[in-house]
Amino acid sequence: MSVEPIRAPAAALLTHRHLRRLVGATLALAGIAIWAALPQVLSRGTVDLLVFTALYAIAGLGVAFLLGQCGIVSLAQSVFYGIGAYATAYCCTTWGWPWYAALVIGMVISGATALVIGWPVLRLSGYFLALATLALATIGHVLFLEWDWLTGGTLGVGGIPQISLFGLVLNTPQKFYYFIWPLAALIYWLLYNLLHSRSGYAMRAMRDAPAAALVLGIDVHKLKVRIFVLSALLGSLAGSLFANYVSFVSVDSFGVDRAVSFLLLAVVGGAQSVIGPLFGAAFVTLVPNLLSRVGDVHPLLFAGVLVVAVIFLPQGMGGLVTTLWRRLWPPAPPAPGSGT
Amino acid sequence: MTRADAPLTTTPSSALLEVRAVSKSFGGLHVLRAVDLTIARGSITGLIGPNGAGKSTLFNIVSGFLAPDRGDVIYHGRPIGRISVVDRSRAGLVRTFQTPQVFGHLTVRENLVAGCHKLGRSGMLADMLGLPLARRELAQMQRRAALTAARFSLEPVADVLAGKLPVGQQRLLELARAAIADPELLCLDEPSSGLNGDEVDQLARMLTQLNEEGMTVFLVSHDMELMGCAATVNVLCFGETIASGPFAAVKADPRVREAYLGA
Amino acid sequence: MTTTLFIQSLLAGLTNGFVYGLIGLGISVIFRGTRVVNAMQGDFALVAGIAACLALDWLGLPIAVGFLGGIIAGALVGWAVELLLIRPTQARGGSEDSLLLVTLGGAFAVSAAALLYFGRDSRSMPGFGGNRSLDVFDAAIRVHAVWLIAIAIVVVVALRLFYQRTPLGQSILAASIDPEGAATIGINVPRMRTLTFMLGGAVGGVAGVLVSPLITIHYEMGLLLTLKGFTAAIVGGLGNPFGAIMGGLLLGLVEAMAIVFVSSGYKDVIAMSLLILIMIAMPNGLLGRRGRVGG
Ligand SMILES: Nc1ncnc2c1ncn2[C@@H]1O[C@H](COP(=O)(O)OP(=O)(O)O)[C@@H](O)[C@H]1O
Ligand SMILES: [Mg+2]
Repeated sequence: MSVEPIRAPAAALLTHRHLRRLVGATLALAGIAIWAALPQVLSRGTVDLLVFTALYAIAGLGVAFLLGQCGIVSLAQSVFYGIGAYATAYCCTTWGWPWYAALVIGMVISGATALVIGWPVLRLSGYFLALATLALATIGHVLFLEWDWLTGGTLGVGGIPQISLFGLVLNTPQKFYYFIWPLAALIYWLLYNLLHSRSGYAMRAMRDAPAAALVLGIDVHKLKVRIFVLSALLGSLAGSLFANYVSFVSVDSFGVDRAVSFLLLAVVGGAQSVIGPLFGAAFVTLVPNLLSRVGDVHPLLFAGVLVVAVIFLPQGMGGLVTTLWRRLWPPAPPAPGSGT
Repeated sequence: MTRADAPLTTTPSSALLEVRAVSKSFGGLHVLRAVDLTIARGSITGLIGPNGAGKSTLFNIVSGFLAPDRGDVIYHGRPIGRISVVDRSRAGLVRTFQTPQVFGHLTVRENLVAGCHKLGRSGMLADMLGLPLARRELAQMQRRAALTAARFSLEPVADVLAGKLPVGQQRLLELARAAIADPELLCLDEPSSGLNGDEVDQLARMLTQLNEEGMTVFLVSHDMELMGCAATVNVLCFGETIASGPFAAVKADPRVREAYLGA
Repeated sequence: MTTTLFIQSLLAGLTNGFVYGLIGLGISVIFRGTRVVNAMQGDFALVAGIAACLALDWLGLPIAVGFLGGIIAGALVGWAVELLLIRPTQARGGSEDSLLLVTLGGAFAVSAAALLYFGRDSRSMPGFGGNRSLDVFDAAIRVHAVWLIAIAIVVVVALRLFYQRTPLGQSILAASIDPEGAATIGINVPRMRTLTFMLGGAVGGVAGVLVSPLITIHYEMGLLLTLKGFTAAIVGGLGNPFGAIMGGLLLGLVEAMAIVFVSSGYKDVIAMSLLILIMIAMPNGLLGRRGRVGG
């Protein structure tokens, strides 16, 4: 349904482009209304899952950015998720620090770790880089287990205080929901901006043809390291908030399977679009719950979905939605005289 | 630092780039043997030679993708052997590739915007926050991209994914993208291969025009017609420069005829 | 530390080294034949171990026959992986990353299926020579471990002869080095790729049935085995299958020393760090060929 845009200035009130925007805005408003109403109608357990969806969406966005914009398969996100969580656990319980200070410390440590490790490791590419990150995830998991003075080993660390915001303690899933989702939205907005900026063009250029990107003055290696650090910061942020939310962390949460979930949500959601990981996060948090009565089936399902998505749906669910949206409302050709 | 009394280099002020006794071998294969070559500022300099002569290897050394085993590359009177590809590009030395390297998942317009990268300086944080500086820079880059697209007759395909273009247009796009940030020295590796006659003419016109605006062009090609626009032509054969001078003189050189033209 | 303890660790390192070497050998075989890095090599071993375990437990077959069943199971999984995962991915123009993701997905699937079936417990399995051990300078080595080493050596030699002496081996190499050229001289390239995966699966199966009696079968063992096998393959040069055994031995001994001098908890950390360091140290030498820029 390609409608010829009406060019006469008198009729320009409702061009195709306007209509498209109008529909977009209406959908967005409806979405926000539904979002705000959800905790009121859903059970506590379901709201809890939606909180996890947001946490995973934040950590997974980092992985998706690496995968979709830089072509880097990272299985190391569980390490940064863990660093964030343990930083919060340790600083809040041992030293009684406020949650935000612990969160910042976690992000500093994660960022520094990502920088120090990423600088040499990101010279690798393809298979080797992916396997190196898998090796990092393994190392991280063993260290979280072995350094029990810090992490409590298999016993974990309990009694992590909940987040208090201007005197309001976020001690129910409902309250946390209203805190975490705006934060996730803020992060998505930041990364959306990044993708549609000078740096975003540089990233996509680097992904498509690294040698040509170098020639245009794009420092490919530095850019990769920066995005790796950014991704680690997101993982650490999500990990810290996770620790505050559940108030108990143990090494089981930071194994290779966690890294796999993050990668899976990026692949299933679609790493090319910023919105994709959101769908992916909903998938990896909601599906195991739906299947919990059948036993440990979800790992098998996850693996199957990963394979099927890689082969048949390389753009992920986000790509599917974008395509559908474009088909329903194809972008009008740019009006004469107006720049894009 | 003393200056005038003892000039370290004998570079005539007109040389923008000099290749000095550059040698390179891969394993036992000597691809370049002490190659010398000078590119005068403001010139179009050609390089011809049979397949496997080492032309692309020389390009890789000049642009910084490979390090020479011996010898040096002098740019602006300074040796640049240890300088990275990126820094050379920032210093105005830009190249294209023998197999076109467009950003396949970006549109032609977006390819050109990416080509403007080094004209901006907004950091990742400014980009993320969408600060006015970042927006302004991007808008400038987009304007420039639109102008360049028009200039290189790429406007009709501006919103087509670059990977979907025919080879001829990919080459043109690569040239436009390399030229967009006003490089000082533009190195083109076989820019006319895969082009039809009309496209070669257009390419020759574009090169002459860019050159008249002050861009120095270093051109590798098999295409005799395109070589016509070069002031000086060097002939590389089995890793050695066997002739250099005006195209007509080089063509007449018996050694060149024997080695290259097969006569 | 006593000398006996030291020798004991060395022997353990040697045995593990041959296991890593066999996994690495499988990775090399597949890489050499298809240019795919197979992230589920360790899971071939897991499948073979489980199959052998079932054959011994349920059917009460003799050990050697059960082991053979495990190896055949490994080859069958290799065949299935090529047919169901690799081929469709390549047919749709999948990149190197897609191939890796697909085999990783396969690895997680095997591990998840094992979890579903076996649960989180480990299974032990009988080996050659029961639980008997031999004395070496007061240290003990299980008879089964001696068998493991001997069989690993036989497999390496057999593979070498296979590639060098048999027309089939040569065809596989030709199909991988120059697929188009091989096709024009009448080699069935897709079939060579399938055979390569079956061969890789069988080698993985050998590793699986041999290692299972020593370490017990556990649903998570595949991935770690893959990583260590990959380390072995990388150390030995990925395109060179016989280097993998050397790489495996080196890794096994390094781990043994780590256990003696550091602590057993850190042995995987040291192995994985070794993997990363080696890859960083030779980013261009990994594939035995240098990348070329823009022709
Ligand atoms: N990275 C490399 N490794 C090994 N040999 C190479 C490499 N690059 C080029 N060669 C060899 O060097 C020779 C010259 O190649 P090249 O510079 O591409 O020639 P030209 O561009 O003049 O056709 C060829 O024989 C080619 O095979
Ligand atoms: Mg060439």
